[in-house]
Amino acid sequence: MVSGGNASSLPLVGGKPEPTIKELSSPGRRASNFPKLDVPEVKINHESLKKEKARLPEVSEHDLVMHYSRLAHRNFAVDLGFYPLGSCTMKYNPRFADSIASDSRFANMHPSMPEEFTQGCLKVMYEIGNYLCEITGMDYASFQPPAGASGELTGLLIIKKYLEINNLTNKTEIIVPDSAHGTNPASARMAGFTVVEVETDDRGMVNIEKLKEIVNENTAGLMLTNPNTGGLFEEEILTISQIIHNAGGLLYYDGANLNAIVGTSRPGDMGFDIVHSNLHKTFATPHGGGGPGSGPVAVKEFLKDYLPGPIAENKDRKYNWYQPENSIGRMHGYHGNFLVTLRALVYMKLLGKEGLDTLGAYAVLNARYLSSKVSKIIPLAYDEPCMHEFVTSVKDLKKSHKIKAYDVGKALLDKGFHSPTIYFPLIVPEALMFEPTETQSKETLDDLADSLKSIISDLQQEDIVLEDYPKNLPVGRPNELIPAKFLTVNWGDFELLEITE
Amino acid sequence: MFVPHSELDLKKMFDELSINSLDDLFTHIPDALLLENGLDLPESLSELESIDYFNDIAARNKSDLVCFAGGGHYDVYLPQTVKSLTMRPEFMTSYTPYQAEISQGILQVLFEFQSLVCDLTDMELANASLYDGATSIAEAISVAINKTKRDGVTISSGLNPNSKEVINTLIDKNKFNLNYVELDNYLFPSDYDFDESQAAFVVSYPHYEGSCQDLTELVTKAKDKGIVTICYVDPSMLGVLTTPGQMGFDIIVAEGQSLGSPLSFGGPTVGWFATKKEFARLVPGRLIGESRDKDGNKSYVMTLRAREQDIRREKASSNICTNQTLNAIGSAIHLSWLGPEGLYDMGYHSIQKANYMKKSLIKNGYVIPNDDSSLREFLLEVKTNASEVINKMGDKGFLAGIYYDDKHVLVAVTEKRKKTEIDDYIEALQEIDNG
Repeated sequence: MVSGGNASSLPLVGGKPEPTIKELSSPGRRASNFPKLDVPEVKINHESLKKEKARLPEVSEHDLVMHYSRLAHRNFAVDLGFYPLGSCTMKYNPRFADSIASDSRFANMHPSMPEEFTQGCLKVMYEIGNYLCEITGMDYASFQPPAGASGELTGLLIIKKYLEINNLTNKTEIIVPDSAHGTNPASARMAGFTVVEVETDDRGMVNIEKLKEIVNENTAGLMLTNPNTGGLFEEEILTISQIIHNAGGLLYYDGANLNAIVGTSRPGDMGFDIVHSNLHKTFATPHGGGGPGSGPVAVKEFLKDYLPGPIAENKDRKYNWYQPENSIGRMHGYHGNFLVTLRALVYMKLLGKEGLDTLGAYAVLNARYLSSKVSKIIPLAYDEPCMHEFVTSVKDLKKSHKIKAYDVGKALLDKGFHSPTIYFPLIVPEALMFEPTETQSKETLDDLADSLKSIISDLQQEDIVLEDYPKNLPVGRPNELIPAKFLTVNWGDFELLEITE
Repeated sequence: MFVPHSELDLKKMFDELSINSLDDLFTHIPDALLLENGLDLPESLSELESIDYFNDIAARNKSDLVCFAGGGHYDVYLPQTVKSLTMRPEFMTSYTPYQAEISQGILQVLFEFQSLVCDLTDMELANASLYDGATSIAEAISVAINKTKRDGVTISSGLNPNSKEVINTLIDKNKFNLNYVELDNYLFPSDYDFDESQAAFVVSYPHYEGSCQDLTELVTKAKDKGIVTICYVDPSMLGVLTTPGQMGFDIIVAEGQSLGSPLSFGGPTVGWFATKKEFARLVPGRLIGESRDKDGNKSYVMTLRAREQDIRREKASSNICTNQTLNAIGSAIHLSWLGPEGLYDMGYHSIQKANYMKKSLIKNGYVIPNDDSSLREFLLEVKTNASEVINKMGDKGFLAGIYYDDKHVLVAVTEKRKKTEIDDYIEALQEIDNG
């Protein structure tokens, strides 16, 4: 199968391990160069100055460039192949946004400049606020949170402050589905709430009856993604919203899965009061190997005074910062991850109404198509129409052939694809979660399905050693116990060990 | 846009799903929730049109000012090598390295980052990054609270004011007392008596105002009371400054912008977090460890994962998931580019130039209240109003510094500033003062 998304032609196969930059160091070498000191040199005495030089590697510039380029060659990426990682929305990141974010007129702006000097940056923040509110159906947004988890915490602190100001401090419980992202309960705990789990029903959705049992006068709110982490649209969302609101709680939307509904449906119309979005998922900013992201929070009118500030506004054709009256305070030292926010605005401008109106639909089409193919190989966890992602389970294969989700993921790496997300959501045993995104072609989706089919067949052979997979990569499965037990987290740590079998 | 499907592709896909249109995908969504006419947004722009659009926005920024502002974010020289390598798509467009076998590149660079941070600060264990300097301080305070189970925090007032705001947001004031200690003549009072109810002692090195002091004795005194000592350090000065590890600190955190990231209007930059191994299980965020595969090949993998939110959920040490990996990669590459000599030059040139500027200002009748204790950053007492001075200096081509209070501007001099720029700055300042 010829497809654009298969990376098995990658020259990832290397013989030897890459040394560390420290091992490449040799005394007397340097890459850096600075101009000669152009002020008269004087002796400066200060108790904090040291005599010795810092312990850093000494390398030539060419050695440095070769080293980090070789390391780059040992890494899979969206630019190299299909990354069907569920819950992560690994879509194509437009190159064009890089050029705008690298423009020194944005990239070299100091964050403490007065607003008169930064009208361009403020305009960016103001404009994207308008886009985001329209897309999510909310009224006001803050771009302080630098990532999704920070956005969640922001939302919860808003709920907390809202309850405090309205003398509702008895409300201490945040309800989270048992299928939720781990950040949900972690954020709720950080904000000082008690976490109460609500069960998922057999169809993969919030169990309405259980929810009714759990909700009481202490309910502060509910955190939910829609579609949920099973990739299913919560069809009873209006009922859920009513249950929570009737109890005086607030509804929080975890934007991890926003890509599925952009242009089709809006959290604000479903009854959500607070929404965070992951600009690094839905709005195509690169993930950078794990970050930076941007996790803006948008709220309905009645919560606008609680948002973290400062927030950009437009008054008399001039942009200003304003601090909301009852603001929870800052979530970031400055203005959040501004250059990430800028990239997202570039993406929104490129897509415009036409592109954004159909964004969710194409993401769902690709997932629905891939699920149709994959379900003929391994069973879906839920027999429901999926949205932008879907969950499968290999629990039967585990029983019959000891094949775990982990093994399937590892074997897929050999075929030129990234693994789907494994073991999530936690409520599905041996889960494999696929999210193709809208930017992959039909051939690539077919290719993945074909590869999966051949893997499942290979792994069932009698003479197979599952632990041998992946076989075609620079390294096999790393032993995870060694670093956890011996804390080999610094160079030199490992060499000190005397590990016996 | 960026959707690859042709009409023919769509037909085949619709056939597989037995549907006739995209709308048929959403028959299970309640009608009331479906947008009838789509979103109320402007039409799309082509790439070419977008260039004009964003050119117009960029032109509204006063981006050509000679920068004398710092406060944690410094206009240091960021070499092209660092920019080019961090923009390699293999680094930029990859996800968190959950699948170690195809992520050895990111994992090894992060391992090198952790090790470089430890070597530079004299600590034993660094994580793979937090959001920024401000949020890192709050995370460190949480570690201290978890470690000691105490409910007070002693914080030096000589911290970036925005960082204080972030601490105030993230540390629950209903449960914990935040005790801010005023500086005495721009230094933390050396005779300060620590109280055993305190979980942490947080201090900036140098202080926000630019003054710097040996904190060894204070650290010893605090540790004697069982207090976790936290240093917020300016990492790009560690080529010349005694390290926080040498002074005995338990935890160091830093705003890492000046090592590997452009100013970026404040973000994305990177928060550094390093500590001693005894704190390992309380550390927030990701950690990369060195291991071996079954054939004995060196390999790297995320480790101590049981601390993290996706596994421990509400019992996790922090909620952080997405971090600032790409900026951490920038830090690793920038530090390797600098080496011991380059980092020394960067620090040494900046304090020589700052010293030259301070002496010139004093010679011209200006007051530098912390002249003696400051290094590359200092307070300049202005003759009128600080905001006004900053605005007027902007008209003359300078970012004069950061507004500190009505009478003071916080001025930073990096190695990038030229003697002529410093001389011109002082001349411009005099012109403003002379009306």
